[in-house]
Amino acid sequence: MAVMSGWRGTKFALIVHPELRVLAQYQTLLSKNGVTTVVARDLPTALLAITQHYFDIAIVSSQLSEAGDGWPLAGVLHLVFPGSYIGVLVPGADLLTLQSAINSGVQDVYEITQSPQSVVRAVVAAAKLVESNKPSGHLQ
Amino acid sequence: MVRKPSLLIVDDEPNVLLTLKLVLEEDGYQISTAGSFAEAEKLMVAVGNFDAILTDLWMEKEDIGLELARSASKLKPRPVIVIFTGYGSPGNARAALGVPVDYFALKPLDVDELKRVLNRLVVANTAERRWQS
Repeated sequence: MAVMSGWRGTKFALIVHPELRVLAQYQTLLSKNGVTTVVARDLPTALLAITQHYFDIAIVSSQLSEAGDGWPLAGVLHLVFPGSYIGVLVPGADLLTLQSAINSGVQDVYEITQSPQSVVRAVVAAAKLVESNKPSGHLQ
Repeated sequence: MVRKPSLLIVDDEPNVLLTLKLVLEEDGYQISTAGSFAEAEKLMVAVGNFDAILTDLWMEKEDIGLELARSASKLKPRPVIVIFTGYGSPGNARAALGVPVDYFALKPLDVDELKRVLNRLVVANTAERRWQS
Protein backbone atom coordinates (compact mmCIF):
# COMPACT_ATOMS: atom_id res chain seq x y z
CA MET A 1 0.00 0.00 0.00
CA ALA A 2 1.38 3.43 -0.93
CA VAL A 3 1.40 5.83 2.00
CA MET A 4 2.01 9.54 1.46
CA SER A 5 3.89 9.98 4.72
CA GLY A 6 3.68 13.47 6.16
CA TRP A 7 1.56 15.00 3.38
CA ARG A 8 -1.44 16.84 4.74
CA GLY A 9 -2.32 19.56 2.25
CA THR A 10 -4.56 22.44 3.31
CA LYS A 11 -5.95 22.37 6.84
CA PHE A 12 -9.74 22.53 7.00
CA ALA A 13 -11.94 23.56 9.90
CA LEU A 14 -15.68 23.15 10.32
CA ILE A 15 -17.55 25.69 12.45
CA VAL A 16 -21.14 24.89 13.38
CA HIS A 17 -23.12 27.59 15.17
CA PRO A 18 -26.65 28.97 14.69
CA GLU A 19 -25.52 32.63 14.67
CA LEU A 20 -23.99 34.10 11.51
CA ARG A 21 -22.12 36.76 13.50
CA VAL A 22 -20.30 34.07 15.51
CA LEU A 23 -19.54 32.02 12.37
CA ALA A 24 -18.03 35.10 10.69
CA GLN A 25 -15.83 35.84 13.71
CA TYR A 26 -14.45 32.29 13.86
CA GLN A 27 -13.98 32.11 10.09
CA THR A 28 -11.95 35.34 10.09
CA LEU A 29 -9.79 34.25 13.01
CA LEU A 30 -9.10 30.76 11.64
CA SER A 31 -8.33 32.13 8.16
CA LYS A 32 -5.70 34.40 9.77
CA ASN A 33 -4.14 31.19 11.13
CA GLY A 34 -3.98 29.67 7.65
CA VAL A 35 -6.96 27.34 8.14
CA THR A 36 -9.60 27.07 5.41
CA THR A 37 -12.95 27.26 7.16
CA VAL A 38 -16.32 25.83 6.23
CA VAL A 39 -19.32 27.08 8.20
CA ALA A 40 -22.73 25.57 8.89
CA ARG A 41 -25.72 26.92 10.82
CA ASP A 42 -27.60 23.65 11.21
CA LEU A 43 -27.21 19.86 11.35
CA PRO A 44 -28.07 19.04 7.70
CA THR A 45 -25.54 21.57 6.38
CA ALA A 46 -22.90 20.28 8.80
CA LEU A 47 -23.52 16.66 7.72
CA LEU A 48 -23.26 17.68 4.06
CA ALA A 49 -19.94 19.43 4.78
CA ILE A 50 -18.64 16.26 6.50
CA THR A 51 -19.22 14.31 3.29
CA GLN A 52 -17.26 16.88 1.24
CA HIS A 53 -14.05 17.61 3.23
CA TYR A 54 -11.49 16.14 5.61
CA PHE A 55 -11.66 18.35 8.71
CA ASP A 56 -8.60 18.72 10.96
CA ILE A 57 -10.49 21.00 13.34
CA ALA A 58 -14.15 21.30 14.27
CA ILE A 59 -15.76 23.84 16.59
CA VAL A 60 -19.39 23.03 17.31
CA SER A 61 -22.00 24.79 19.43
CA SER A 62 -23.66 22.39 21.88
CA GLN A 63 -26.94 24.13 20.99
CA LEU A 64 -27.95 24.36 17.33
CA SER A 65 -31.73 24.32 17.05
CA GLU A 66 -32.30 23.04 20.59
CA ALA A 67 -30.26 22.50 23.76
CA GLY A 68 -27.76 19.65 23.47
CA ASP A 69 -28.26 18.79 19.80
CA GLY A 70 -24.65 19.71 19.03
CA TRP A 71 -23.35 16.73 21.05
CA PRO A 72 -24.43 13.99 18.61
CA LEU A 73 -22.81 16.00 15.81
CA ALA A 74 -19.58 16.19 17.82
CA GLY A 75 -19.81 12.39 18.28
CA VAL A 76 -20.21 11.89 14.53
CA LEU A 77 -17.21 14.15 13.85
CA HIS A 78 -15.13 12.08 16.29
CA LEU A 79 -16.11 8.85 14.53
CA VAL A 80 -15.53 10.19 11.01
CA PHE A 81 -12.30 12.10 11.77
CA PRO A 82 -10.82 10.22 14.77
CA GLY A 83 -7.46 12.01 14.64
CA SER A 84 -8.90 15.51 14.43
CA TYR A 85 -9.44 18.17 17.07
CA ILE A 86 -13.04 18.78 18.14
CA GLY A 87 -14.03 21.59 20.50
CA VAL A 88 -17.55 22.33 21.70
CA LEU A 89 -18.93 25.75 22.73
CA VAL A 90 -21.08 25.32 25.84
CA PRO A 91 -23.20 27.60 28.04
CA GLY A 92 -21.48 26.28 31.20
CA ALA A 93 -19.01 23.51 32.04
CA ASP A 94 -21.00 21.57 34.66
CA LEU A 95 -20.65 17.82 35.36
CA LEU A 96 -23.21 16.64 32.80
CA THR A 97 -21.73 18.87 30.08
CA LEU A 98 -18.24 17.52 30.74
CA GLN A 99 -19.62 13.96 30.77
CA SER A 100 -21.22 14.61 27.36
CA ALA A 101 -17.89 15.96 26.12
CA ILE A 102 -15.96 12.84 27.21
CA ASN A 103 -18.58 10.44 25.92
CA SER A 104 -18.81 12.21 22.55
CA GLY A 105 -15.02 12.00 22.13
CA VAL A 106 -14.38 15.74 21.99
CA GLN A 107 -11.04 17.18 23.08
CA ASP A 108 -12.24 20.25 24.97
CA VAL A 109 -15.16 22.49 25.83
CA TYR A 110 -15.18 26.30 25.75
CA GLU A 111 -17.70 28.40 27.63
CA ILE A 112 -19.61 30.84 25.43
CA THR A 113 -18.39 33.69 27.63
CA GLN A 114 -14.86 33.12 26.28
CA SER A 115 -13.88 35.39 23.40
CA PRO A 116 -13.54 33.77 19.95
CA GLN A 117 -9.92 35.01 19.94
CA SER A 118 -9.02 33.02 23.05
CA VAL A 119 -10.94 29.95 21.80
CA VAL A 120 -9.17 30.01 18.43
CA ARG A 121 -5.77 30.50 20.11
CA ALA A 122 -6.41 27.44 22.30
CA VAL A 123 -7.87 25.38 19.46
CA VAL A 124 -5.00 26.07 17.06
CA ALA A 125 -2.41 25.24 19.74
CA ALA A 126 -4.26 22.05 20.76
CA ALA A 127 -4.80 20.98 17.14
CA LYS A 128 -1.03 21.25 16.53
CA LEU A 129 -0.48 18.97 19.53
CA VAL A 130 -3.05 16.47 18.24
CA GLU A 131 -1.34 16.58 14.82
CA SER A 132 2.08 15.84 16.35
CA ASN A 133 0.62 12.83 18.20
CA LYS A 134 -0.86 11.28 15.05
CA PRO A 135 1.00 8.15 13.93
CA SER A 136 3.31 8.89 10.99
CA GLY A 137 2.31 7.35 7.72
CA HIS A 138 -1.34 7.18 8.81
CA LEU A 139 -3.26 7.56 5.56
CA GLN A 140 -5.60 10.53 5.86
CA MET B 1 -9.59 -19.42 17.15
CA VAL B 2 -10.96 -15.93 17.71
CA ARG B 3 -9.38 -14.18 20.69
CA LYS B 4 -11.82 -12.81 23.25
CA PRO B 5 -11.36 -9.08 23.98
CA SER B 6 -9.66 -8.69 27.37
CA LEU B 7 -10.87 -6.31 30.07
CA LEU B 8 -9.32 -5.16 33.32
CA ILE B 9 -11.97 -4.08 35.83
CA VAL B 10 -10.78 -2.12 38.86
CA ASP B 11 -12.94 -1.34 41.90
CA ASP B 12 -12.42 -1.54 45.66
CA GLU B 13 -16.01 -2.74 46.18
CA PRO B 14 -15.97 -6.55 45.74
CA ASN B 15 -19.71 -6.65 44.93
CA VAL B 16 -19.36 -4.21 42.03
CA LEU B 17 -16.30 -6.08 40.78
CA LEU B 18 -18.10 -9.45 40.87
CA THR B 19 -21.27 -8.12 39.23
CA LEU B 20 -19.40 -6.43 36.38
CA LYS B 21 -17.23 -9.53 35.92
CA LEU B 22 -20.27 -11.81 35.62
CA VAL B 23 -22.20 -9.47 33.32
CA LEU B 24 -19.31 -8.74 30.98
CA GLU B 25 -18.03 -12.34 30.94
CA GLU B 26 -21.47 -13.32 29.70
CA ASP B 27 -21.00 -10.76 26.92
CA GLY B 28 -17.91 -12.62 25.67
CA TYR B 29 -15.05 -10.71 27.31
CA GLN B 30 -12.07 -12.24 29.09
CA ILE B 31 -11.98 -10.53 32.48
CA SER B 32 -9.19 -9.71 34.91
CA THR B 33 -10.04 -7.87 38.12
CA ALA B 34 -8.15 -5.72 40.60
CA GLY B 35 -9.34 -4.37 43.95
CA SER B 36 -7.00 -1.38 44.05
CA PHE B 37 -4.89 1.00 41.98
CA ALA B 38 -1.70 -0.77 43.06
CA GLU B 39 -3.03 -4.19 42.08
CA ALA B 40 -4.22 -2.83 38.72
CA GLU B 41 -0.81 -1.32 37.96
CA LYS B 42 0.86 -4.67 38.67
CA LEU B 43 -1.60 -6.43 36.36
CA MET B 44 -1.06 -3.88 33.59
CA VAL B 45 2.67 -4.67 33.72
CA ALA B 46 2.32 -8.44 34.17
CA VAL B 47 -0.50 -9.12 31.70
CA GLY B 48 -0.45 -5.99 29.51
CA ASN B 49 -2.28 -5.53 26.24
CA PHE B 50 -5.79 -5.20 27.68
CA ASP B 51 -8.38 -4.15 25.14
CA ALA B 52 -10.14 -2.02 27.74
CA ILE B 53 -9.60 -0.85 31.30
CA LEU B 54 -12.65 0.01 33.41
CA THR B 55 -11.86 1.71 36.68
CA ASP B 56 -13.64 3.23 39.63
CA LEU B 57 -12.54 6.79 40.41
CA TRP B 58 -12.30 6.71 44.20
CA MET B 59 -10.42 3.76 45.71
CA GLU B 60 -7.45 3.99 48.09
CA LYS B 61 -7.45 7.73 47.46
CA GLU B 62 -9.85 10.28 45.95
CA ASP B 63 -9.68 10.39 42.15
CA ILE B 64 -6.93 7.73 42.02
CA GLY B 65 -8.75 6.20 39.03
CA LEU B 66 -7.47 9.20 37.06
CA GLU B 67 -3.88 8.15 37.79
CA LEU B 68 -4.66 4.68 36.50
CA ALA B 69 -6.28 6.21 33.40
CA ARG B 70 -3.16 8.33 32.79
CA SER B 71 -0.90 5.25 33.08
CA ALA B 72 -3.20 3.28 30.77
CA SER B 73 -3.28 6.09 28.19
CA LYS B 74 0.51 5.79 27.80
CA LEU B 75 0.35 2.07 26.95
CA LYS B 76 1.02 1.02 23.37
CA PRO B 77 -1.36 -0.09 21.99
CA ARG B 78 -3.62 2.17 23.99
CA PRO B 79 -6.59 0.38 25.57
CA VAL B 80 -10.10 1.82 25.76
CA ILE B 81 -10.38 3.64 29.10
CA VAL B 82 -13.66 3.83 31.02
CA ILE B 83 -14.10 5.57 34.38
CA PHE B 84 -17.14 5.06 36.56
CA THR B 85 -17.90 6.92 39.77
CA GLY B 86 -20.49 7.83 42.34
CA TYR B 87 -18.53 11.01 43.11
CA GLY B 88 -18.53 12.82 39.78
CA SER B 89 -17.68 16.52 39.90
CA PRO B 90 -16.82 19.17 37.31
CA GLY B 91 -13.22 18.96 38.60
CA ASN B 92 -12.68 15.24 38.11
CA ALA B 93 -14.68 15.20 34.86
CA ARG B 94 -12.51 18.04 33.50
CA ALA B 95 -9.40 16.05 34.49
CA ALA B 96 -10.80 12.92 32.79
CA LEU B 97 -11.42 14.94 29.62
CA GLY B 98 -7.75 15.93 29.68
CA VAL B 99 -6.42 12.33 29.94
CA PRO B 100 -8.43 11.64 27.64
CA VAL B 101 -10.86 9.02 28.93
CA ASP B 102 -13.12 7.31 26.37
CA TYR B 103 -16.19 7.00 28.55
CA PHE B 104 -17.23 8.54 31.87
CA ALA B 105 -20.14 6.82 33.62
CA LEU B 106 -21.93 7.87 36.78
CA LYS B 107 -23.09 5.29 39.34
CA PRO B 108 -25.54 3.65 39.58
CA LEU B 109 -24.32 2.11 36.34
CA ASP B 110 -26.72 1.39 33.51
CA VAL B 111 -25.31 -2.05 32.64
CA ASP B 112 -27.02 -2.30 29.23
CA GLU B 113 -25.66 1.10 28.25
CA LEU B 114 -22.19 0.12 29.49
CA LYS B 115 -22.25 -3.11 27.45
CA ARG B 116 -23.35 -1.26 24.30
CA VAL B 117 -20.74 1.50 24.68
CA LEU B 118 -17.96 -0.94 25.54
CA ASN B 119 -18.71 -3.03 22.47
CA ARG B 120 -18.63 0.06 20.22
CA LEU B 121 -15.39 1.39 21.73
CA VAL B 122 -13.55 -1.96 21.72
CA VAL B 123 -14.54 -2.73 18.13
CA ALA B 124 -13.46 0.76 16.98
CA ASN B 125 -10.19 0.58 18.92
CA THR B 126 -9.37 -2.87 17.53
CA ALA B 127 -10.01 -1.63 13.99
CA GLU B 128 -7.75 1.39 14.57
CA ARG B 129 -4.96 -0.81 15.99
CA ARG B 130 -5.20 -3.06 12.93
CA TRP B 131 -5.12 -0.03 10.64
CA GLN B 132 -2.00 1.36 12.33
CA SER B 133 -0.03 -1.90 12.35
